[in-house]
Amino acid sequence: MSSHREAPEISKDPVADSTDLYAFVSPDQPDNVTIIANYVPLEEPAGGPNFYEFGDDVLYEIKIDNDGDGDDDIIYQFRFQTRTRNPNSFLYNTGQITAIDSPNWNRPQFYSVTRVDEHGKSTELASDLACPPCNIGPRSTPNYQDLAEHAIHNLPGGGRVFAGQRAEGFYVDLGSIFDLATLRPFENLHLIPSPAKPGVNGTEGYNVHSIAIEIPKKFLTKDGSNPTDPKSPNSVIGVYTSASRRKASILQGNGEDVDTGPWVQVSRLGEPLINEVIIPLGKKDFWNSQDPQHDSQFDQYYDHPELAKLLPVLYPGVFPHLAAYTKDRVDLEAILLTGIPSGIIPGFQNFTGTTQADFLRLNMAIPPSSKPNILGILGGDLAGFPNGRRVFDDIVAVELRAVAGVTIPLVDPSFTPDAAAGAINDFIPVQIPNGVRYAKHFPFLGEPFSGYESRPHEV
Amino acid sequence: MAKLTRRGFIGQTTASVATIGVLATVPTLVAAPEMTDIVASDTAAAELSATTFSESVVAHVSNLASGEVTIMSGTKEIILRDADLVMRLLKAVR
Repeated sequence: MSSHREAPEISKDPVADSTDLYAFVSPDQPDNVTIIANYVPLEEPAGGPNFYEFGDDVLYEIKIDNDGDGDDDIIYQFRFQTRTRNPNSFLYNTGQITAIDSPNWNRPQFYSVTRVDEHGKSTELASDLACPPCNIGPRSTPNYQDLAEHAIHNLPGGGRVFAGQRAEGFYVDLGSIFDLATLRPFENLHLIPSPAKPGVNGTEGYNVHSIAIEIPKKFLTKDGSNPTDPKSPNSVIGVYTSASRRKASILQGNGEDVDTGPWVQVSRLGEPLINEVIIPLGKKDFWNSQDPQHDSQFDQYYDHPELAKLLPVLYPGVFPHLAAYTKDRVDLEAILLTGIPSGIIPGFQNFTGTTQADFLRLNMAIPPSSKPNILGILGGDLAGFPNGRRVFDDIVAVELRAVAGVTIPLVDPSFTPDAAAGAINDFIPVQIPNGVRYAKHFPFLGEPFSGYESRPHEV
Repeated sequence: MAKLTRRGFIGQTTASVATIGVLATVPTLVAAPEMTDIVASDTAAAELSATTFSESVVAHVSNLASGEVTIMSGTKEIILRDADLVMRLLKAVR
């Protein structure tokens, strides 16, 4: 998946497992940027009685590079604190939760937001902010929309923040892609063929925990201005999220842990599907521990991605041009590690310099699209992936097509992509599948599926 | 991820506070991910006690061969080289 359970170690630690990162100019507040970092993969909505929450022992961060050196210039830190109101009850809620401060919610969670500037100065922007409860069902959380709206908090100086459960917005045919990379619509062409059939959304009906923050653009640029020129380097930011744990944790044997030592990064995420697909199994845990500014050590995996070698084998005769291409994949390096320089796509660049780093790169001067295309730039929509990433962008199709060779001509005009490369998709038709929920306003991911009402993967 | 494991540490809290007193007589600071005042004078170190040092302290023998001990408290971490301390710790767990 995008980055759900993507590495051996972090797959055992869901609360610290970053699943998706989004960054886009807010369509309803175009002077702001919305960044959403999702954690806790594949939340089955009925998973009580201890429903999902953020980790009190995890440091969640959203980091921004605004000068292209690969290093963090601005950091937003989120620390959570969970309280148990009635430790003598086994219940998550002891009655209806009709308000976010309801005493019936037995496990409320709160958090602080701290901003760290390029000089390392920390400023706590807010504290004791309430998360919403999980969506339990019509008896426990009867007006969930109202609860969630009361969990949107204003930040000093502008912007808003939300942290809590949301519907999973990422979609992928999970069951097929990891079954020897078959794509149901094309599996009649697979090495082990079966009749072609429509794709299935493997994340349908699941929830996730989102940290969403809306930030005025002027707080993100190097010079403090509101960027308006798409050609200016000042308009581009690189974004990633990370989760860290304390270096030492002692299980005391009484149900309580002692955590101490410096924070150690255990998960990170910039571009989708990198640690998932590009980085090999033996390097995934190491990759999670590294800062993006050192990502040149991984460039060999971008230059010759394993999936690009597998496609011609798994789909015999379908990708002859890709099979014959032996040059370094400079197109993938540009799109995923440095950003796309000016002069390649008319009217667009999100180049952050020659430092290779896994960032989601957003040109903030590109206005939101009035008619978004879920294929983003591949679909002619400069406001979409890989110019940042919107909640509905079909990053699986875009990245599969890129790996299959459709973006090679951007840097190597002598290459002609295979006809199938531009048609790859795990869903037909190319549209947002049923069961995915979004919202038109902040925090943009939709109301979470309730435990009572949802039927994940009903058969 | 770091190669340290959650169960890879040999001491904490009161036992490790006592260890700090020992370290003050022989410490060699070989690396300092975060420099601290832990190598202050013997007199200052002697004044440390459980009451003045409320944070949990974890000591990890990170390299037996070179006698390296990693000591963590709060968000701080220092690495000491003290072969004698390592030998005493090994004897204690034998």
